Parts: sequence; structure tokens; C-alpha cells
Amino acid sequence: MTNNEPQSDGGTPVETDTIRQEQPTSRLRRLAETITAPATVDAAVYVLYAVAVVFFVFPALWVVSASLRPEGELFSYPFRLLPSEISLTAYQQVIDAGVATWLVNSTLVTILGVGGILLVSVPAAYAFSRFEFRGRRGLLGIVLLFQMISPVIIIVPLYTVMSTLGLLRTRAGLVLLYVGIQTPFSIWLLKGYFDTVPMELDYAARIDGCNRLQTLRYVLLRPVAPGIAVVGIFNTVLTWSEFVLAFTVLRSESRLHTISIGVYKFQGQYGNDWRAIAAASVIGMLPLVLVFLGLQRYFVKGLVEGSLKG
Amino acid sequence: MTTPDSTTDRSFARLRAVGRRLLDHPLPWLAPTLVLLAVFQLYPMVEAVLMSFTNESLVSPDTEFVGIEQYARLATDPQFWEMLRVTAIYAFSSVVLHVLLGLVLALAIDYGVRRGLRGHLTTRVSVLLAWIVPGIIIGLVWKVMLVESQFGAINYLLGLVGVGPVPFRSDPTLALISTIVAGTWRGTAFSMIMIYGGLQRVPQRLYEAARVDGAGRWNRFRHVTLPQLKSVLFVTIVLVTIYALNTFDLIFALTGGGPGRSTQVLALFMYQEAFQDNALGRGASIAVVMLVANLALTAVYLYAFDVSEEI
Repeated sequence: MTNNEPQSDGGTPVETDTIRQEQPTSRLRRLAETITAPATVDAAVYVLYAVAVVFFVFPALWVVSASLRPEGELFSYPFRLLPSEISLTAYQQVIDAGVATWLVNSTLVTILGVGGILLVSVPAAYAFSRFEFRGRRGLLGIVLLFQMISPVIIIVPLYTVMSTLGLLRTRAGLVLLYVGIQTPFSIWLLKGYFDTVPMELDYAARIDGCNRLQTLRYVLLRPVAPGIAVVGIFNTVLTWSEFVLAFTVLRSESRLHTISIGVYKFQGQYGNDWRAIAAASVIGMLPLVLVFLGLQRYFVKGLVEGSLKG
Repeated sequence: MTTPDSTTDRSFARLRAVGRRLLDHPLPWLAPTLVLLAVFQLYPMVEAVLMSFTNESLVSPDTEFVGIEQYARLATDPQFWEMLRVTAIYAFSSVVLHVLLGLVLALAIDYGVRRGLRGHLTTRVSVLLAWIVPGIIIGLVWKVMLVESQFGAINYLLGLVGVGPVPFRSDPTLALISTIVAGTWRGTAFSMIMIYGGLQRVPQRLYEAARVDGAGRWNRFRHVTLPQLKSVLFVTIVLVTIYALNTFDLIFALTGGGPGRSTQVLALFMYQEAFQDNALGRGASIAVVMLVANLALTAVYLYAFDVSEEI
């Protein structure tokens, strides 16, 4: 079987087959060859794809299906994978609970946060890539260290820090916090992109009379644009999804609550109304899923390159 | 003799020169970063350590230095040890499942790309999709999946084969398993991408050399792929461990740490001590335990990755 495959790459040559048959291990080897034959592997891989797609997509689709039921259908026989009819009443419940406010808040925090992160991390990444100064390595090490330490750890002291600065229960406080927390990772990723741009571009710009800011603005920004896009997408996902910091900073200030907090509070209130909880979940994940489906190529690129850089 | 015009010109030129010199120094470029890191990362970490030596509370205005009392209390608190056990089980299972599944998927996708199989992109997108769903919502999605009557999706499917209904969230052991499964649903993507990136960097000539030597598929995997992936796998394991140790939102939404304390991981325990029992000092001492664990793992990571070269 193996030998008939044009793309065969694991098989043994035909002429040795008869000799092999005499050896005790030959049947085992045959079996191994069948198992590792391209056609068998292809089939196994297809099965794996199918199982993976079901495992990773089914929960999300089930939540969509559950959210679209008429009231009571989720708890009646016979069990239905799909709703008997589409009903949007669960969504009405979520809208009445104030989902529009949560979405606006999340959007504002995400835009301001990501903008702030880029504004701070692009110049810093430039500096780490283009300047030689004492303590550069040490400083970069510290930046990396902060990247590794989870923000969850600092939520307890953060409460007092934010309180002292008068930033508790404010949107500005949350945005500043996100910029502070996400900058290390962004600098690290961006520095990698800056490092790939040859210094000759800087020298040429210098000769043409550009100062460093102009060099960054007019010469370097274009080659590092893919990096900026990746950092932007990444931080959009992180900021939009973030929960514990927002919960700690915004506390009970419900008019500032983001989507994660809103949905969490909503499910606390609605207890066992799975239909309503499903609808709230769908609204909470839909914006990111749409953004992601559009941009997943850049996303993966950033991840693969990010994993290279640390 | 200068006209007013040329004076402004000259002071303008001087200003520009100053600006230019300023721009030639790294400090202005780094200042915003340094300030933000100092205020929102460094100071809170120092503050956590300081706080852990006090009895600071959200309800009482008097804060006193109490030495290592909080740590002594933790060490003698059976709940703390139980919570450490839960965290360790959660983190260990997460690492095993994420990395194993990630490896298998990365290999399958890499294979599919090379052989031109259909469906590798769909698979990749599906796995990544689960990863970008906000943690709180993942908790709720799985809550809806695991509804504990025959109306829950999983329980219905189990019912078809004559099992159930299974109390996924109210049985202590099953609840922990449920959080691990939900965590795997989210976390596999990261391992998959890391390992996939690693696979792309294995030099093709190594495979060709192995093929010339007559190595079969399994031997090529065993003697070429795995050794080449060693450092990527190690780094992934460390990062997933750190990530799992700090898990909060998913468990907070899925089980809230319950039933009892059966799914209460470090981060949840810390949160509850600090903000539900109002004991900031006690919460801070748990934060320091987490900080030490994170720093230790980071040290391992740095050792493995040898970033010093990169910098």
C-alpha cells in the first residue's frame, strides 16, 4: 500500500520485502507501515480536525442556540439542538438590563486603552531598539519581568493605590491602569519589529535633516506598521475581555461597568435563567469574534513572532 | 544689530536645538513608560509586600504592623493548604492537557498545511476562537453547557448513552474537573500556536537527512521534531503554568470557588479574603505567595529562554 503512494515517504523499498518476511518483527513492521502510511495518517488527521472543531465550536454554538429559544423551551421535552422557533425575548431582557451601556463603556475603555498603550509603547520600543545607554539591558529585563507577572497579583494593593490617587470608580483610572499593565508586553513585541528595520534608514533620514521624532514618524513607522497592528489587535482583545482589574477599580459604579462586569452581574441576578445568561454571553463574545475572524491572520502572525521574541 | 525678527528666529532656532538634543536622549522616550510602570506595577508590588505585614482592613481604620502574623496564620490554616492543593491540581492538569492537545493540534495542522489537506484553517480558527472569548463569558458558556439536568447539552448527550444526569458543578471532584475542561477549552490555543511556531523553525534539511538515513515517520518525529521542539515546549510549559496559577475570571464565573472550597484557587482565595472578608492584609499575604511563585517560574523561564542574548 505504501509503495503505491506517489508521495510515500515512510515506506521501505519493495525489494527488501521478501527478506523481511522471514524476520519475526516483520509483521509488526508491516503494521507500523500501515499505520504511518500517508493515507492512514491523512484519515486520522481529518478525524482529529473534526473532533477539535466540534469541541471548540460546539459550546459557542450551543449558547447561541440556547439564547434564541422561546421562553421555557430549554426545559421541555423533547430535547432540541436547534430552537423550534427563533425568539428574541432573552435578548430583550439583556437590553433592558443595560447592555448598551456596558458595550459603550467597553468600547470607550478599549479605544482609549489601546490608543494609550500604543502612544506610550511605540516611543519606548524605539528607544530600546535605537539608543545605546547604560542600564538598557537591565531596564529591558525589568520590563520583561513585569510582562511575566500577572496583574491578578496586585489587585489587593491596587485598591489602595487607586484610592490614594483618587482613581477608584473612574474610567480614566481604569484606562491608565490598562496602559500601565499592558505596556511591557507591547514594548517587547514592538522592539522586535524595530530591530528588524536596518539602521541605514535612520542614518539616511538623519542626513536628510530629520530629527529622531521625524525619523520615527516619517521613516520607521511604515516598516513597523505590521507590529503596531499586531499590538493593537492583541491589546484590543485583552482590554475588552479583562475582568478582575475593572471589577476592582470600578466597584459598584454601575454606569461605568464594562461588558464582562455587566454580564457577570446580570447572571448573578438571573440565577437559573439559562436562556438570558446565554443571550448575555452571546452579546459579550460577538464583538471580539467578529474582529477576530476579520483579523486572525495578523493575530497568528503576531503570536508566532511574539513567541519568538519571548 | 539685530532686528526683532531675527531675535525670534534665533530663539526659535535655539529652542529647536534644545528639542533636538532632548530627543537624542533616551529619557524623554522612556519617561511615560517608567512613570506608569512605577505607579501601576512596581509600587503595588512593593505595597503588597508591606501590606502583608500589617492587619490592614477595609472596615477598620487602624492599621498596625503585625510582623509575620499573616504568614503564620496562613501556614497553620488548613484552608490555605487545601487551596494550594486545588491550585496545584488545576495548574498541573491544565499544563498536561493544554500542552498535549496543543502539540497534537499543532502537528496535525502543520501536517495538513504540508500535505494540502482541507480543514486545517477551520481547525486553527476554531481553536483560536475559544481563546479570545472573555474569561467571564467562558465561565458562563460552560455553565450553560453543564446544566445539571437532562436539559443541559452535555447531560443530554450523556443521557443518550445511558449516563447521568451528572452533577458537574455541585459535586466537588466533578466541579474541579469542569473548571479544568473549561480552562483547556480556552488555553489550548496558546500552546498550539507556540508549538506551531516552533515547528516552522525546524530546519527542513534535518528531515531530509533523516529520510536519507531511512528513518520512518515515527522516528523522524522522535529524533528530529521532538528534540528541535524541546526549548519551545519547555517555555510553553512554564508560561502555561504561570497562566494557570493566576487563573481567576473563568473559575469566578463558572463555580465561584465552590461547591464549598473545592475549586478555590489561589487568586480566588486572595480575592475573597481581601474584598469579601475585607481583610486586605490577609489578602496581601496570599498575593505575596503568588508573587513568589510567579517570580520563581519567571526565573526558570529566563534560564530556559536565555533572553540575555536577545537584549
